[in-house]
Amino acid sequence: MESVNDVKEALSARSRTATLDELRSEGRKRVRIIRAEHVQSMITEAVNSAVEQSGLISPEEVQKLVEKSRQQFRTMMQEAQEATEVQDQLEARDREIAELKKRLEQMAGGKGGGGAASVPVSGDLSAVLAKIEGSINDRLEKIGKKMGVSAAVESDAPVDFSGLFKAADKKLESNMENVEVKKTEGGGIAANLARLKKLKGGS
Amino acid sequence: MTKQDKKEHVAETDVALGKGLDVGTANFAAAVQNADGGITVTVERNAFLDIPSDVYSKNMLVKLKVPYVVHNNRLVVIGEAAFELANVFGRETRRPMRDGLISPNEQDALPMMKMIITKILGEPKVSGENCYFCVPAPSLDVDNNVDYHKGLFESMINKMGYRAHAVNEAHAVVFAELAEQDFTGIGLSFGGGMANACICYKSIPCLSFSVARGGDWIDKNVANVLGCPRSKATHIKERGIDIRDPKSREEEAVSIYYRSLINYVLQNIKTRFESGQNMPSFTSPIDIACAGGTSLVGGFIEVFRDEFAKIDFPLPVGRIFRSEEALTAVAKGCLVAAAIGES
Repeated sequence: MESVNDVKEALSARSRTATLDELRSEGRKRVRIIRAEHVQSMITEAVNSAVEQSGLISPEEVQKLVEKSRQQFRTMMQEAQEATEVQDQLEARDREIAELKKRLEQMAGGKGGGGAASVPVSGDLSAVLAKIEGSINDRLEKIGKKMGVSAAVESDAPVDFSGLFKAADKKLESNMENVEVKKTEGGGIAANLARLKKLKGGS
Repeated sequence: MTKQDKKEHVAETDVALGKGLDVGTANFAAAVQNADGGITVTVERNAFLDIPSDVYSKNMLVKLKVPYVVHNNRLVVIGEAAFELANVFGRETRRPMRDGLISPNEQDALPMMKMIITKILGEPKVSGENCYFCVPAPSLDVDNNVDYHKGLFESMINKMGYRAHAVNEAHAVVFAELAEQDFTGIGLSFGGGMANACICYKSIPCLSFSVARGGDWIDKNVANVLGCPRSKATHIKERGIDIRDPKSREEEAVSIYYRSLINYVLQNIKTRFESGQNMPSFTSPIDIACAGGTSLVGGFIEVFRDEFAKIDFPLPVGRIFRSEEALTAVAKGCLVAAAIGES
């Protein structure tokens, strides 16, 4: 039955709701009705028939394929649902911002108008801003968590990676001890050190 | 060991404590102060070559004093010798680092890298002697993990008995080359895998970043257009050519890609400086110091100045110069940091 529900949800997600009056206004007097269960069985029959006729896959494999398809279908439904929620939240935030903008314009108009009714601008504005800010932060936090982003802070403690390269510690046969490596002589660093110490305030 | 103990040790040996290590994609370089008041820098190429393990080959390597390691039943020739052998046999060397960082494809090369570093650094003069090693800055053009690279070498050097500290690669160039300017200016390190930039005011880094193009990028492109191994392209680049006056098709290819690299680095520096929020204001022009093995090619600084003149750089710039010890300047800068850390 779960698959029937999936089909219902899919049909619901991809269809529109219209009242009888609306349909009538579109010139429709009769509509054909089909149940979701029938759609589901038609899909299953069509898939099974196509796969069996192909002769390429055994019945067991067909069953596995059907199950895998169902899982994928559910995952896609869930993702679509989450995306819709995020979109709703963003739209709600946009509406709040638009509302705030409208109120600010009204306040500015009232202040500049001189004769307009007195508005407690600073207190009201602060309260509105605080409310909107809190609301936006709350929504952003929720969206961030949903998308895998959070306001967590990183630790300053260094990460010890030594466990990843224990192999580098093993003793290997080599002649490195008897081989000379290229050496070059360069100018000293006394002047650099003196300058640095002076910058640091030393002698 | 306490600071007092360390000072007494210095008095005994007359050699200051502290070592600098340049962990480069192409070369490792270790710098130490010597008894004559100068510095001694030990350099080894960061490359390997696997050859079949047999008694004859091993005896030959021993006789020729070619450094090798036996690893997973194979003979692994190490360092400059690996590069030379690869050229002779037309093969590619294995490179444990790529784009300035440890390569995820060469994890089993870690024992060989440790061996090279141990060889060039030597034993610490005292337990816990400071060793400053360079790390690149995060890149503008690739997503890289500097923390893992830094942690790996920090742990490796600590296990050798040193006290490891990381220093930004281009900051090290400022320490080595801009003392007369009170360590104010721009340090640029043109390495094998990356180009690093750091702008400093009175030795304090204000902005540092890197781009993941360097000498290897030139080699790769030259090898592609000429249809030869990268080792061959590296050899062409390092045999003493002048990129202002290419003498052959091969040198022409090297020259073209050098100019392209310099232009790319400068454009990125310009863009980054223009968008930088923490940029200091300079009342007088600042110097630009270039260093790194990739800057060693003939005509580098002239081409750099040519390309610099073409862009509208957002800061007033005075002298543009290349370090006289371009290959070892980063190691020297790390040594300066280590020595000041010991004092």
